[in-house]
Amino acid sequence: MIQLRRFTRGHRLLAAGAALAASALLLSACTATPPSAPAGTGVDTGAQIDEVTVALPGSVSSLYVGQEAGIINYYVASVSQEGLVKIAADGSIQPALAESWTQTDATTFVYQLREDATFQDGTPVTVDDVIFSIEKAQDAEVSPNFSWLLAGIESAEQTAERELTITLASPSVSFQWATSTSGALYVTSRAFWEENEGKVGTSDGLILGSGPYKVTEYVPDSFVSFERVDTWWGGVPTVKSVRIEFIPDDNTRLLAMQSGEVDMAFNVPAAQAAQWEDLDNAAVRYTPDLSYVGLQFDTAIAPFGDEHVRKAIAHSIDRDAVVDKLLRGKAEVATALITPESIASVYDGAAAREALAAVPQYDFDLDAAAAELAKSEFPDGFEAEITYPASGPQLGQAAQSLAQNLAKIGVTLTVTEVPLEEWYTTLADGVHGLGFMWYFSTTGDPGELSSWILGEGNASHYENPEIAALLAQAAVETDQAKRAELLIETNTLQAADAIDLPLWWGQSATAFSNDLGMNDYGPFAFFSPWPAALYRAG
Amino acid sequence: MLALRILGTLALLIVLSMLIFLLLYLAPGDLVKNLLGIRNTSPEMIAQVRAQYGLDLPLHEQYLAWLGGVVSGDFGTSIRNQTPVGALLLDRLGVTLLLSGLAFALAVVVAVPLGAASAFRQGGALDRGISGFSILGLSAPSFAVGLLLLYVFAVALRWFPIYGVGDGLADTLWHLMLPAATIAIGLGAILVKLTRTATLRELTSDYVTFARARGLTRAQVVRLVLRNAAIPVVTGAGLVLTFMVGSTVLVETVFALPGVGMLLQESVLFKDVPVVQALTLAIAAVIAVIALAVDLLYLLLDPRVRHRELAS
Repeated sequence: MIQLRRFTRGHRLLAAGAALAASALLLSACTATPPSAPAGTGVDTGAQIDEVTVALPGSVSSLYVGQEAGIINYYVASVSQEGLVKIAADGSIQPALAESWTQTDATTFVYQLREDATFQDGTPVTVDDVIFSIEKAQDAEVSPNFSWLLAGIESAEQTAERELTITLASPSVSFQWATSTSGALYVTSRAFWEENEGKVGTSDGLILGSGPYKVTEYVPDSFVSFERVDTWWGGVPTVKSVRIEFIPDDNTRLLAMQSGEVDMAFNVPAAQAAQWEDLDNAAVRYTPDLSYVGLQFDTAIAPFGDEHVRKAIAHSIDRDAVVDKLLRGKAEVATALITPESIASVYDGAAAREALAAVPQYDFDLDAAAAELAKSEFPDGFEAEITYPASGPQLGQAAQSLAQNLAKIGVTLTVTEVPLEEWYTTLADGVHGLGFMWYFSTTGDPGELSSWILGEGNASHYENPEIAALLAQAAVETDQAKRAELLIETNTLQAADAIDLPLWWGQSATAFSNDLGMNDYGPFAFFSPWPAALYRAG
Repeated sequence: MLALRILGTLALLIVLSMLIFLLLYLAPGDLVKNLLGIRNTSPEMIAQVRAQYGLDLPLHEQYLAWLGGVVSGDFGTSIRNQTPVGALLLDRLGVTLLLSGLAFALAVVVAVPLGAASAFRQGGALDRGISGFSILGLSAPSFAVGLLLLYVFAVALRWFPIYGVGDGLADTLWHLMLPAATIAIGLGAILVKLTRTATLRELTSDYVTFARARGLTRAQVVRLVLRNAAIPVVTGAGLVLTFMVGSTVLVETVFALPGVGMLLQESVLFKDVPVVQALTLAIAAVIAVIALAVDLLYLLLDPRVRHRELAS
């Protein structure tokens, strides 16, 4: 009755990926081999670089990332601030301000701060500064955007001169990611904060961190500039100064890159990618960006409480066509909520995809869709609306494609574009039973998305005791391979009920001028001090 | 007279502030979701943020709290930027005022002589050429004009920078040249039309025929005509200046300028009430000042108005 099939498309996708300019990186990110310079980028000449100008598609409203934790805020804050740990190119957790750490029991983490950790003003990073930064990050008034990430901390105490012991209220394996800059910990100085109380993160107060670059000037909606310091424990980087320009218009950004006014541009828009790729003086490099796009049902809203309706919709999505045609192959058909990169530390690239492809899939099959609909309580079809954010036109295209297919089985789907801010309010609003889930994981914790959208109190009003039990187990399972298995099992269970329908795993595109290279370019590259990885290519 | 006018303007601003407050409240979007994001949020967190920004109060109390602040000179703190609104506005107004001023000056300096020349040579090749160009300028959307100018003058010819405001006055003016030209093209097109029409009307008046019959020199006639045509042109220019607010939003986005247009757009989407309120009021106040300035200019230009005002 249920037409599910097992997907084995991992190899094909990698083969398709090889056609991309970024193939070397895509593979290296997946297989965890040391990244090498991609085709088209020269080798590191070792030359110093005076200034790198970087274009971002939007402005940050504060340099303090807790105030507004959009993806761009992470990119900007990671230049000057660090966490206790960081995520390496292969997804593994590596030392940052903490030179080592241990988990002494299910709820206790002990971090040893490195001796040479110094803020950009020359003062040492103390355990007290880290505790202070955690407290600020936990405060919903100061850090509304990520206080929930550190809400599980019961206490953070100094247990030796350079030792910090964090105790959690309940066991959580996910916590180890939370103390990185991919998570929610951007360490700043208590003295600095108290001196600049009320203006931290503004153009008056700026921000102080321990990374290789200090902020020198910040004009909201215009630019933020950084100067390298010699106080960083990681050494002195090649690039002397970094200027991040906020250029909201896609065309202007393209012209700026074309004329050589900027050396690097983040978030090359998918719709314009071909024009960027045609530039003579720059190359576009793609990497999986840990993002997930899928459809999500609210089972409390008719007709989506009906399993046959959900399955009819599942059979009406032509994911291959969406990815190949609409996204020009710059994405990967998603088979699960979990991204392959997030389990890269336990599976190598192909194996990760195989493991995720074992989750049951719904074929694109309009006959099967019509049959499912006939079995439902709405055999004559129904009308529904789906909204998508203006900043995600690719979601709109996918929705239009779905609407065309649904029309053939008698379902009328209206597709509505709304500003991102308005889109937030249409999620779980009790009106829209079918919506998009568009989520960028920053941490690479494979459980991040699943535990949220399948866990207790989820927006789908979906209750499955088996999934709840598996998630509870995954929350305390310290063996990464076992944990990945548990999480994949939750994805398998939900697929049978068709609550969340994975569409694609996204890729981000970054343009680099021909004389600029970057080491370790991959899904996690921009969540640690990334300008330090840039080099003059020859 | 002036006092009455100021009082009227104040009343207008208060009504406007209520209206904007209400519209922003009714508009789609939710400040709490913008702040907290869509991820795991507990009811306690939502309650905390709502209390922090007074969103748990009834609407009229929220408005009165805001009004109370304004009366005591406190425009509040931007929710999005966490900076005092007054300082934020001062930071942003400079760019926009300079941009608007430059655009307006460019438009006037180029368009008024062209419009007048067009009228004096009505039906000639010059007139037709100017009219053709002004129709083009009037109908081209400003973001498209901006991109075209960018492509020609910044990328191909490399005379001007592509984005940003630069450092120091000279550099800033250089950076603002293309954006100002973008606005000036649309603005200038309207002014050309206005000037041409006004000048033509004067040219066909009896006093011009009479002046010519009396044997006044051409230069003397032209001076008479221009002086009389100035009144409708000034009124029209004042009106189009107020329209410029809309085009700065687009132009600031294209040229990545940190002005009030961009701030307004972001603040409306984020539902950053204190910023939207202060900005719309500032814009309304500027428009009121422009209207007043136009009226005062009448006094200079038209002796009849001057005498009437002085007599009353």
